[in-house]
This record gives sequence, structure tokens and C-alpha cells, in this order.
Amino acid sequence: MVEKILKLFKSELKVINIGLEFFYKSLKDQNVKAVHVVWQPPPKIEKDLQDILDKIL
Amino acid sequence: MVIVKNFVKKNFYRDSVQLLHLSEEAKKIEGVLDAAIVMGTDLNKELLEKQGLLTDEGRAATDNDMIIALKVEDSANIDEILEKVEKLLTAPGETAAETYYYSLESALEALKDANIAVVSIPGQYARDVVLKLLERDIHVHLFSDHVPLEHEIELKKIAYEKGLLVMGPEAGTAIINGVALGFANVVNRGPIGVVAAAGTGLQEFTVLVSQAGSGITQGIGVGGRDVKSPVGGLMTLLSIKAFEADPETKVIAIVSKPPSPDVQDKIINYIVENTKKKYVTCFIGGKTFEIPEKLKGRLVQTKTLHAAALEAVKLVDEKLYEEAKKKLFLPKEEIIKIAEAEIAKLGERQKYIRGLFTGGTLTFETQVIFKELIGDVYSNTPLNPEYQLPDVHKSIKHTVIDLGEEEFTAGRAHPMIDPTIRLLRLVDEAKDPEVAVILLDFVIGYGSHPDPATAHLDAIKKAKKIAEEDGRHLTILAHITGTEKDPQNAKKQEEILRSAGVIVLPTNALMALTAALIAEKKIDEAKIDKFYNEFLVGKY
Repeated sequence: MVEKILKLFKSELKVINIGLEFFYKSLKDQNVKAVHVVWQPPPKIEKDLQDILDKIL
Repeated sequence: MVIVKNFVKKNFYRDSVQLLHLSEEAKKIEGVLDAAIVMGTDLNKELLEKQGLLTDEGRAATDNDMIIALKVEDSANIDEILEKVEKLLTAPGETAAETYYYSLESALEALKDANIAVVSIPGQYARDVVLKLLERDIHVHLFSDHVPLEHEIELKKIAYEKGLLVMGPEAGTAIINGVALGFANVVNRGPIGVVAAAGTGLQEFTVLVSQAGSGITQGIGVGGRDVKSPVGGLMTLLSIKAFEADPETKVIAIVSKPPSPDVQDKIINYIVENTKKKYVTCFIGGKTFEIPEKLKGRLVQTKTLHAAALEAVKLVDEKLYEEAKKKLFLPKEEIIKIAEAEIAKLGERQKYIRGLFTGGTLTFETQVIFKELIGDVYSNTPLNPEYQLPDVHKSIKHTVIDLGEEEFTAGRAHPMIDPTIRLLRLVDEAKDPEVAVILLDFVIGYGSHPDPATAHLDAIKKAKKIAEEDGRHLTILAHITGTEKDPQNAKKQEEILRSAGVIVLPTNALMALTAALIAEKKIDEAKIDKFYNEFLVGKY
């Protein structure tokens, strides 16, 4: 049941960083193989616009 | 003519650390006297107001809007300056080119053999992202807070079934294969594995183990709620199983605030029935439990991170332990000497402690120690609900504040990165003539401010000067959770603090003890002996 964890302990880390960019920079500073996902919150729709959309849909 | 202007960008998001960096860059633009670029949360607006940087435009901003607040020398240049700020906002990061992706799918495609992910997006959005990662058999460090409890339970159940780690939510720290994830220190590798439901607890533990000359295999942060009944210790138990099977790990430490009683029983029963290695438990603030017969001699119970680290090292190598005890962790005679020297300088009215902490577990441990030595203290996160501060911005008698809590961080970077709020508070506390001692924790390492000691220098000098001009001496104690190998270098940080008259203690527990002795203004050796015997060593 812990094989995947033991495998991780023996492997070179390859990291996907999602969110705070500076964690990605920390990984780069440590020479860790990593890619960064630029994340944005879904846009907030104004209430009146939402009401109109609700009517149409 | 000097003017203050706010520009609001509707529905425009940058993360708190990027905003901190942008603010610093904006301050460097010619003609700018002061600048702050923040999301429009209530806390940020309050701080802008305090800094004299808020106008009606900014007041109208919402949590989803960005406020660009500028104080400029000459109103004629404002358009030109704003243009430069806008350019900063849209400039790509220096490394952006080939390793930045705008969807998880494209990132997974680019790094096909990814084996771990660090997720630090707002908690309400984390579930969907983590589910996709678990589907691909990728372990997750989930830094985010505000992840709904039901999401945590769902994700951890799936991960447990698949034998994958979900470290968090609200796990500030992890060290996997020597790599620091989130906020973590550069520590020695060695035979001690640690699983922690306490972020700065994990940092303090790994740092002290490393300073004592030993090291860690892995540091697994699981988030505070893991050891509570609804989650049932799923990741703590999975980590114990992994450490038990890992040939490199000889000693296993479990660090947390008090688990729910049923979860604590589950953990201890699991250790009794299914394990062979040596264990150290550190349930800070928890009740002492009866060590089962079968575990006598291979499980040590401790009350502080200081004791947990020392005992873990002792289980590895008794000789290292003896040396560490002498060199690193100060015998009581030294603590008494420090306390007596400070007591002699204090005025009669000065009797209170004000702890301004950035680390949640360090705040908690300090309160647990104070409860033993001087009783309950006021806090925004008190042990005893009766000691809840009615206004978290105003201290009462002995007060210990966790500045990493929501009320100080909404839409802002954590105080380990952005010391602004602590600097203002430090100066405020110095104005109170009844304050004797101020406590500061400096948690360094990856993720933290590049030079927190220097960033605090002006405020420390100002605080000391305020006291001095009022005919008082102000004692400032500090503890650095960090190593010489950290990017900030703990030794250098210590020298900077000492140069400003700050007394630096080697562990958080010893800082708390020293503060209690100074505030009480008496040296009760029996009490100190009891503290050393119960809080700084373990129980077999």
C-alpha cells in the first residue's frame, strides 16, 4: 500500500507548482525540475449580469 | 505638490507575494514617495489608511479588485508614473518563458513524469485540481487554506486508498528527499522521519535535529485537521506506514497540537500492533498518556519541540545527544544569568510579555509553556477561550499573538514574508509602559523573507528608543527557526539581531522560559528544575 510513497522517496522530484509563483522560484533555486501553472480565479460575474444570464439560459 | 492617488483595477488578480514584490518595485519609480499595490480586502484598506495611502476610490474596491495606491511628489507626473506601474503589472517574470503554463493539462503534458505537485490556490478551488493530480498518481503538497473539510476528507480517502500522499490542506511545510516544499529549511539528511500536523512545528523540529548533528529522511506535513476526528489521521497513519517500510528511516517522530482522543488512540494502537521502529511523540499541549507496555523503551513522549528533537537524536545516537544538550540547548544556569541581567534593568511597572509570532505552532507552544509557568495569557488564538482578545490589534496584560492568522493575512502575504504588520505592532507595544519583554520568532528558510532580521532593525531600534526616552529598558527576545545552510543563514540573522541588543535563544521553548522568568522577576530554581525535567526531556 505504500509502494508509491517509497518510490517517491527514491526518485528525483519532478514538481508541478500551481498557484504562488514564489514557491516555483524556491524550487528553481534548489535546482529542482519543476513547471509552473499560472492560476487565476474564475472571474466574478456581477449580480445583474448573472440575473440576465439566468433568464436567457 | 504631494498627492495620494488610488487606482482600482476591477477583477484583477495577482497573488499576495507578487503584489508585495510589485509594491517594492513601484516604490523605486522616480517621483514616488510611497506605494502599495494590494487586493482590496478590508484588512488591506485598513492598512492603507494607517499608512496614509487610502482615498475614496480605494475605499470602494472589493476583495476581487486590485488597488494601486501611490503617493507622489508632483501631481503633474501621475499619468507617467501610473504607466510605469502598469508596465510592471504586465511584465512577464524573468523565468516565465518555457516553464510557465496556463492550464494544468498543458503542464502535465510538459512534465509527463511529474511525481509531486505543490498546490497553493485559494482553498475553495483546490478540490478539482487535486482530484486531477491524484488521478495521475501524483503526490500532493496542498498549501492552500480554507479548503472545505468535506473536500479534505474526500481527497484524503481517495489518496489513502491509492497509497498517495496529500500533505495538507494548510500544510505550510514539507521536506521530501531533501527538497524544501512551501516554507522549509535546509537541514541535514539523516535517519529521522517526521510526520507533522503542525507547520512551524515541523520546521522547528527539523532545524533542531539538524543543529544537534543528526538529520531527517523526510518531513511530511499533513495539515492540522488530519489528526482531528473527521479526517481520522489518514495521512498521519499512511506516513507512519511508509516510514516503517522505508529502509533509511530508523526513528519516527509525530508532531502535532493535541489530536482528537480517538485519533490519538488509533495512532498509538497502530504503533503498538504494527511497528518495530523507535518513536517520539510530541502532542504539544496534549495530556500525558500511559505508554503501552509493548512500547516501553521504544516510544518517548515529549511536551515541546525542543524535547522531541533532543529525544529523537538520542534514539539515534546517545553521544550526539549529550553533546547537543550541552552546546546547543543551554543549561539552566545560563538561562538564569540572562534572566537576572534583564530583571535588574526593568522598572517596577514593567511586568508584561508581548509575543509577536509568525509561526502558528510556535505561538501555541509558547502558550502551553506559559500556562505551566505563569498561567493563561491573552491571544487571538488562546488556549482558554476566556482569554480571547476582544480586539486583536490591542494587547491585554500578557499577550501572545499569531500574526499568521486570517485576521492579519486576508489578501496579504504571510508575516514570514511580509513583516509590515509586525513592525507596526512592535513599535506600538513599546509605547506601553507596563511591557517588560517582547518575543519575536524568525522563521527563515525557503519561502520566507530574504533577510527578516535586517527588515526588523529599524522597528527594533525605534521600539528600544521609545522605551529609553520614557526612562525604561525594553527586553527583546528572539528565536530563529533556521540553519546556517538556509539562504538567509541563521548565524548571520542572529548577529544582526544581537547587534541591535536583541537576546537570541536557541529554541522556542527556552525563549518562553526566559520570558516567563523575566516577567515574573524572580528565579524559582525548583520551578525551573521541574520545567527542565518535564518540558525539555521526554518520558519513556
